[in-house]
Amino acid sequence: MVRSTGSATTRREFLIRSAATAAGAFLSIGLPALGSIAAAQPMAGFTPSIWFTLTPDGKVTMHIVKAEMGQHIGTALAQIIAEELEVKWEDVRLDSPLESVENFAIYGLAYTVNSGSVTTEFDRLSRAGAAGRIALIEAGAQVLGAKESDCTASNSRVTESVSGRSVSYGEIIQKVKIDRKFAYPEDFKTIKLKASGTYNIVGKSMPALDIPTKVTGQAKYGIDVFLPNMVYGAVVIPRTRYGSRVVSIDDSEARNIPGFVRAVKVDDSIGKCTGWVVALAERFPAAVKAAQALKVQVDPGPYAGIDTSVLFEEYSQTIKNDAAGANWVLEGDIDKSLAGAEKVLEIEYTTDMVCHATMEPLNATVHVVDGAWHVYTGTQSTSFARMTLTAYLSKVLGQKPEEIKIYVHESVLGGGFGGKQDYDEILAAAYCAKEVGRPVKLIQTRESTFATSFPRTPTYHKLKAGLKNGQLVAMDHDICCGWMGPRFSVGKKYGTDWLQLDSWDAKKEDIDQWSIGGSDHWYDIENRRVRAFDSDRTTWAVQASALRTVSNSYNMFVVESFMDEVAHALNRDPLEFRLALLNGKGSARGIPNAGYEPGTPSDYYMDRLWISLPWPNDNSWPMYQSTTVGGALRLANCLRVAAGRAGWRAKKLSPNTGMGIAVSSAEERQSPTWVAGIAEVTVDPQAGTYKINRLTIAMDPGTVINPLNAKSQIQGAALWGLSQVMAERLTLKAGAFEQSNFHDYSPIRLADVPPIDVELIDSGHHPSGVGEPASTVVAPAVANAIYDAVGVRVRHMPITAEAVLAGLRKKT
Amino acid sequence: MPNLTINGQSYFADAPPDTPLLWVIREDLRLTGTKYGCGVGLCGSCTVHIDGHAVRSCAVTVGSVEGALITTIEGLSPTGLHPVQQAWIEHQVPQCGYCQSGQIMQAAALLSQNSNLSEQQIVDGMNGNLCRCATYSRIVGAVRRAAEIMNRAAEITHEGASHG
Ligand code: FES
Ligand code: FES
Repeated sequence: MVRSTGSATTRREFLIRSAATAAGAFLSIGLPALGSIAAAQPMAGFTPSIWFTLTPDGKVTMHIVKAEMGQHIGTALAQIIAEELEVKWEDVRLDSPLESVENFAIYGLAYTVNSGSVTTEFDRLSRAGAAGRIALIEAGAQVLGAKESDCTASNSRVTESVSGRSVSYGEIIQKVKIDRKFAYPEDFKTIKLKASGTYNIVGKSMPALDIPTKVTGQAKYGIDVFLPNMVYGAVVIPRTRYGSRVVSIDDSEARNIPGFVRAVKVDDSIGKCTGWVVALAERFPAAVKAAQALKVQVDPGPYAGIDTSVLFEEYSQTIKNDAAGANWVLEGDIDKSLAGAEKVLEIEYTTDMVCHATMEPLNATVHVVDGAWHVYTGTQSTSFARMTLTAYLSKVLGQKPEEIKIYVHESVLGGGFGGKQDYDEILAAAYCAKEVGRPVKLIQTRESTFATSFPRTPTYHKLKAGLKNGQLVAMDHDICCGWMGPRFSVGKKYGTDWLQLDSWDAKKEDIDQWSIGGSDHWYDIENRRVRAFDSDRTTWAVQASALRTVSNSYNMFVVESFMDEVAHALNRDPLEFRLALLNGKGSARGIPNAGYEPGTPSDYYMDRLWISLPWPNDNSWPMYQSTTVGGALRLANCLRVAAGRAGWRAKKLSPNTGMGIAVSSAEERQSPTWVAGIAEVTVDPQAGTYKINRLTIAMDPGTVINPLNAKSQIQGAALWGLSQVMAERLTLKAGAFEQSNFHDYSPIRLADVPPIDVELIDSGHHPSGVGEPASTVVAPAVANAIYDAVGVRVRHMPITAEAVLAGLRKKT
Repeated sequence: MPNLTINGQSYFADAPPDTPLLWVIREDLRLTGTKYGCGVGLCGSCTVHIDGHAVRSCAVTVGSVEGALITTIEGLSPTGLHPVQQAWIEHQVPQCGYCQSGQIMQAAALLSQNSNLSEQQIVDGMNGNLCRCATYSRIVGAVRRAAEIMNRAAEITHEGASHG
């Protein structure tokens, strides 16, 4: 396990990660050249660290390595730097570095996931901003002929306090060559950062810098790229989601379509793009027509007989075999405590597949220039895109990986949600570009976007509760589903070890945390066990992947439905019952202090992490963990706030109306954002349909960077959660997804949107992510509200009117 | 070869007449603010104005709009600050932004017919436009705000006229 700890990794932190300067452990100010950044991104001026450049015109350009997919991350990260740099907000600009081998060595892994960007970047960007400010004050004092200690910085100016004389950052850079080094780690440790509560830019609702071009149509997405002489590609919908093989292609009809260029059978030898044929044409509509006209014979492969129902059946069998399960959480003695309980509740839950359905369909454009491969797309990881393409081309071309030169040009993404971290269209576009000798723009139609999507796995859960003396004394949770982890270690399996991973098989003792997270909740229960069971067949047949909050999106539905059932079984109020268990004791206390000291004993979950990614931003995980300070007590606080605002057991409700509670600490046990949600729901007892009257969300993400945007993210996430429970369902039939467009996969629309009351609790702690977590509380809150309203418990997500109706009928 | 009038300019579209208008706008004229989302009239990302009405450009062929006046997001306002665009910025509506050209064109057409919309009329008028980031709560507020800006401007013009 290549888990990163200790000083060796923290050390890289402020080394500018530049090959050119790696010899000296310094943050060089006035650095002559930042290795290849200079080549990739020439920018004259003052670049005190890899994260920003000040130019003589007084502007500062923040270099954002994170993907912009609607979370306005560039604005948030710029606010963090600007706060300590004391730069005027109007002077801030953004750009994003080109992904290449050279820039990877400088910037590290470009990968935007897990609602983790602010959490992992906050500390280092604050320090980088502060280091820049210190250097500017020193240089400014020199320009003013003043003493450094008499000078302060604010609003892009250095001012001598006594005389009031001042000089702008722009003038300083014009006049002085700044050459200041910060020794690592001493100088960084001693940089004094501002205290929470004293910020001027952090915590303010700065207008998002990416919004103006998004209201004029000027913003450029991957799909908006044009290159001279390019040809368009459309994918022929493969016979199965995965594993089919092309036997023959008949293009006789396609050849009658004006503009048709040719059909390309995509090389699928690394196990990506299996069974893909791409129709190339001079226009995209012609490519789509040609794709429909091609007659492709396939061997449908090993998954052709699989329906969703087959998978659910398999899970219910797998879970009976104790030996197949691996412990993820183990506290106390589960067997003994269950045996000694007065009553044992045993309940099963299931959840269906859903997919991302980003508004921008998947697409990529590839152009080969002087032997270098240029990729234009919007992806959550330009780094993995480059590495995956390297492995692929290495196999296809029979060249060594280091001989292959790739540049990934990132654009803004028309939605991500975890759905833009597989790179099939890039590989296919590259393969077609090689075949046809022209730039290729491959656009997945909405239909092929559905057909080749990477959904959330179906899941099956069996839970047991041991009840004694009015208390929950034991909780046992078995989970069976497809694990995405094995799929991401595809490299080794196919002999292309691009991630330098150990093979998955050698790591059988490990558990795919991305399939199980969320089950390790923060309730204080004496005896607990969570066991993970995997379905390898699911992993491959559906190409299981991460979808907004990853496993929390089903595990919180299950855990919070179950907690409600336990409360009712104990005749206790669901609010009081939860609060009593959210006491912050034992493993639910969180770590005592933010930050990371090497050698600090970590939470035992840390030892079970499966993180064997080459994670250059190496202190990410300790930074994540800083969000646990305060532990379950912060969650209890959110719950009290939400309950108060919603009027829990205080508000007069109409007939057939109920309220449901849920709490969540997504994303991971190590990186909680504390959130509570309450849904008020009215059920139509004749039809089984239900209407959401109101959602109340209370969230404590620590320090809030941009309140207006945070609320926007929370509203969007809450509605995402609502859509999952009310409207979305993806099913597999004979190895292929049944849904193809928004008529049969129909996310909620404006008419379904209830009022949402969001309370953002800025607790001043280390910041955690706000883009996803709220989505996890809505589904269970709705399920619990339906029960509160009409006494019907639906144990499957999505919750359909038919299921509610069936429950009502059973009752009478 | 169909002759098109888009954003006040005329073009000869060098495309078969059965080509969806969307692809001519995007790929031939490179007016990429108009987006492809579903291709079959289900999402509204491709909304443009044809003779002042909001229309899904993926669902009309280029051959059928000869002589019509077509406006895309790029032509909505010379300054990029149509009241709807102003309101969209004030309310910080867009997240990923991909659906927003369509949302804005839909809202602008709606308000041009009636700038005193009820809540229900806003919901009905905007319900065909899908937003996967679910910026819906903000959309309603921003449409209301845009109406306010438009009505205020009308008042001022009116005052100006009566005083002048
Ligand atoms: S692309 Fe035209 S309505 Fe979806
Ligand atoms: S803003 Fe992303 S789809 Fe609407």
